[in-house]
Amino acid sequence: MAEILLKNAYVIDPISGINGELMDIALSGSRIVEEASPKAEVIDCHGFLTLPGGIDSHTHYSGTKVNFGRYMSPEDMRAGRTARRGPMHITSGYSVPTTYGNSYRYSALGYTTLVEGAMAPLEARHTHEEFKFTPLQDSFANTLFDGNWGMLRALEDNDIKHAAAIIAWTLSAVKGFAIKLTNPGGTEAWGFGKNVSCINQTIPTFDLTPADIIKGAIRANELLHLPHSVHLHCNNLGTPGNFTCTLGTFGHVPDLNDKRQSLYATHVQFHSYGGSGWGDFCSKSEPVAKMVNLRPQIVIDMGQVMFGRTTTMTADGPMEFNLYRLHHDKWSNHDIELETGSGIIPVNYRKKNLVNSIMWAIGLELALLVENPWQCMLTTDNPNGAPFVKYPEIIALLMSKRYRDAEFATIHQDTEKRVPLPAIDRELDWHEIAVMTRAGQAKALGIIDIGKGYLSPGAEGDIAIYPLRIDDIDPSADYEKVIKGFSQTEYTIKRGRVVSRRGDAIIDGENTTFWVKPKVPAAYDMQHDTAFQELFERYYSVRMSNYPVQEEYLHRNHCIETETDL
Amino acid sequence: MESRDVPCPFCGCLCDDVFVTVENNRIIGVENCCTLGNAKFLSKKRLKHPIMRKNGKWVEVTYEEAIDETARILSDAMRPLLYGWSGTIGEAQVVGVHLAEEIGALIDSTTSVCHNPSILAIQEVGHPGCTLGQVKNRADLVVYWGCNPIEAHPRHMSRYTTYADGYFIDNTASDRTVIVVDIRRSEGAKVADEFVQVKPGGDYLVLSALRAMVRGKSDVVPESVAGVKKVQLQRVADLMMKAKFGAVFFGLGITMSRGKYKNVRNAIELVSELNRRTKFTISAMRGHFNVYGFNEVLTWMAGYPFAVDFSRGIAFYNPGETTVIDLLERREPDACLVVASDPGAHFPKSTIEHMAAIPTVQIDPCVNATTALCQVQIPVAITGIEVAGTAYRMDGVPIRMKKVLETEFPTDQEILERIVIRIREIRADG
Amino acid sequence: MTFILSSGRTIPQGSFVEHKLSKGYQRATSMIYIHPLDIMELGIESGDRVHVTSDIGSVVLTTEATNDIPSGCVYIALGPYANAITGGYTHGTGMPDYKDISVEIEPTDDPVQTVWDLMEMIGGVRYGK
Repeated sequence: MAEILLKNAYVIDPISGINGELMDIALSGSRIVEEASPKAEVIDCHGFLTLPGGIDSHTHYSGTKVNFGRYMSPEDMRAGRTARRGPMHITSGYSVPTTYGNSYRYSALGYTTLVEGAMAPLEARHTHEEFKFTPLQDSFANTLFDGNWGMLRALEDNDIKHAAAIIAWTLSAVKGFAIKLTNPGGTEAWGFGKNVSCINQTIPTFDLTPADIIKGAIRANELLHLPHSVHLHCNNLGTPGNFTCTLGTFGHVPDLNDKRQSLYATHVQFHSYGGSGWGDFCSKSEPVAKMVNLRPQIVIDMGQVMFGRTTTMTADGPMEFNLYRLHHDKWSNHDIELETGSGIIPVNYRKKNLVNSIMWAIGLELALLVENPWQCMLTTDNPNGAPFVKYPEIIALLMSKRYRDAEFATIHQDTEKRVPLPAIDRELDWHEIAVMTRAGQAKALGIIDIGKGYLSPGAEGDIAIYPLRIDDIDPSADYEKVIKGFSQTEYTIKRGRVVSRRGDAIIDGENTTFWVKPKVPAAYDMQHDTAFQELFERYYSVRMSNYPVQEEYLHRNHCIETETDL
Repeated sequence: MESRDVPCPFCGCLCDDVFVTVENNRIIGVENCCTLGNAKFLSKKRLKHPIMRKNGKWVEVTYEEAIDETARILSDAMRPLLYGWSGTIGEAQVVGVHLAEEIGALIDSTTSVCHNPSILAIQEVGHPGCTLGQVKNRADLVVYWGCNPIEAHPRHMSRYTTYADGYFIDNTASDRTVIVVDIRRSEGAKVADEFVQVKPGGDYLVLSALRAMVRGKSDVVPESVAGVKKVQLQRVADLMMKAKFGAVFFGLGITMSRGKYKNVRNAIELVSELNRRTKFTISAMRGHFNVYGFNEVLTWMAGYPFAVDFSRGIAFYNPGETTVIDLLERREPDACLVVASDPGAHFPKSTIEHMAAIPTVQIDPCVNATTALCQVQIPVAITGIEVAGTAYRMDGVPIRMKKVLETEFPTDQEILERIVIRIREIRADG
Repeated sequence: MTFILSSGRTIPQGSFVEHKLSKGYQRATSMIYIHPLDIMELGIESGDRVHVTSDIGSVVLTTEATNDIPSGCVYIALGPYANAITGGYTHGTGMPDYKDISVEIEPTDDPVQTVWDLMEMIGGVRYGK
């Protein structure tokens, strides 16, 4: 078995309680071990910052809508192309890179694990096909249930166990990881061109409110003992005044799990807006962050916006249509029968645009106002707020008040009256950044138990070594160095092998897909449920037998079986 | 032996409810399938051995020799063209894309001569679409524009539209209105509630008139547009605006006729406009069972759905230049590999003249028109009958094709992989 | 007489698509659909053969009268016969003009060529008989 000994690594490993220690790390095969034999290849880390491999807990990088973002955007493909070099394939794309592009660039940033933010079950096979061509990262798929007719019907009958059984069958069938709700109720309403505007409004087709769906899914999630919590994209994304909806949603979340949160609310920047329209649009990051500070059962991610061109893509079909009416650029939509929706439009976030400037500030405010870094993950909702290649800049902004002020001086001048950002002095430290980019994700996703997010013996050998000697850097002042250092690892190690060196992928990886299989008693096995079978036969356009994703699509994979309370 | 729920490897509908009966490794019964699918499942004719032209005559050769010759042809080429792909599975297409990348080839698919203009239009204005089940359950108005489902996608109407039951449709006969727009009274037109007969080349005008009407500007529309009376157009526009869920399906009638992608763009913009009033979607009626799959594969691997030129070491896409017809018309390729398609039967005369003049190799189970243009043909197993793998339905839903017969023939994927290995050997030998 | 020709899919063409060298495919793709009035005008009967000539080339096809298309337009299944009179110019779109082609049609007694004949005319070599 191949062995590596990392010497002189300056380690920050929040899960193991290590905060800046010069140490050696031994790897044998795919795992971190107590010590290596003398045969081990020695890599001298020269005191460079060494972190567990980065984990992106919410990113859109694989599957139907991601690929359609590429398909419809040759201009974006041209904006990011690289040539074939060594073992690296050609890549195309800036905001929606090709699969190899995603994989190489994430690897250069030290990321070894990715969670696809939204997989439609009916099209899951596509997501898994792209996972295969994302060779340098492990993949997990959040699976969309917001408009799942089977689940909604069970919730309508107030039968949580039945809802849980349908979730269990679907996750096992499509090799998904967690329950994702995107604008719950809204995507079903969008089937006839409508939306929902409030969590307490009854949705079309089912006698349910979004709040009922969210609460029901949270309870079902815990019945199934899924590793991750419900992963929620709140209703009313992007609308002025939506923070009340967000607060209302958070108010409904019970605290049901002592190991992790009970709700993961994603890209909360897009849900922290005040004002009654675009004219008085303003930041409401303070009440939202305050609510998170009061509720340990909630974890959020930022959904940071960075300026420049990108592509927005979400299962939230009605929201994308509203965005289209604002931008008048090209618009794609893709409703998925009995399950969910989706939409895509390209956008350009401009510093000269007041709304865009406020959005930029809100994401940073959330990260700075949420006191506990374990409750706020660093994301851009890639590529919605910005492509993930902007992460180093975001890290630097969070670590440096001076950098924030310098940037603030370049954005729309009225922003100051609408946001609290200039008054926030907090500067995050290296440890907090490590939490918000890997350790916090591992905990929130419930994947510490499978060896993710830390560097103690037994952990997966996923490691990022950045060319940063942090004792020599004052991040508050040297923010350019922080950006540079986080932009390209010295080494990215994936499952015990060096996969990326100074920005170049050097070998083809051995990625793994992680999926969940709740163990369900026979009475709750939907495979043999006649009403469930009838739903397929009558209303789906594919046969039930052709729906599950076959083993052939999994290649290397790891099935996480859970005991359930059904 | 009986196999249920077999996906049909013919058209982009990918009907996955076919019931196949096999006896002694022969298909003896096919149920639920259309005429076109039946013919494919029951087809028996195929090429039995690799063949090669030597001194102007066809001779049978071994797979090894055929693969060796193919590898030599591709290695010697300065401007190789890899074309076809729509009749095979994604797993083989992936090998094709990697091969193209490795040898700096231009790769294109049958998309180039079917819905290429639809993709160009989507790249300009996007694509408001949905899965076919959404149409089946919700659409109270269906428009077939420049396509002919009864003849090209025979079960489209019974599975997804006119004759399909749906959740919100109590009675499909009375609750769904069907409009057909075409230059000729096709079979589909005969079952439509409203048939709009457009003069050839007039689609753009008719679409523009409807857009004006949907925007409340009927007064600018003249009494007759491309042979269609204004009263009928107004009736159609009203039907569209009154619909709860309208679904437009369009075909080669608008992609191939005058205006090409501008026609499609106009249709998409009509649909986008209608979404401000009600719910509307638009979808291309894709032909080959996995033509969409190639677009997906090439997009996630190279960034573009078709017509990618790897000769500069990056993925270069410029339709009109890197599209197969233009390339052949300029007589640029000096070698050509055809996989799972039949350009000999579907390309303009001048372009296949060039294919006949350069070393061309075909990987296909059957003798077809392209055979005549080739130096080498390598027969393979039939995808979706003898080979399992991934195909993408016209609406983007991926379906796993099944293997119902055993075969001695190698698969497309195996042949392509062997060609790649042989090319590497030839190159290593210098 | 001048007509506007379009090509497209038909059921017979589709069902023979895996057998392109069959008589059935040849029949299905060498049939030209034409309005009865135009048949009369040409002084022939449905089923008679015609020479169809575009800017690109000329091909012999068999007529089939139908009311489904307007007078002045003709229709043919896509395939090698249609392609014999289709040009490779794409207006920079990648898509040739498969529809709205202006053609001259005149009666003929010449035989309809086989698919192999057409392929050999452009430099191919038939396989088998």
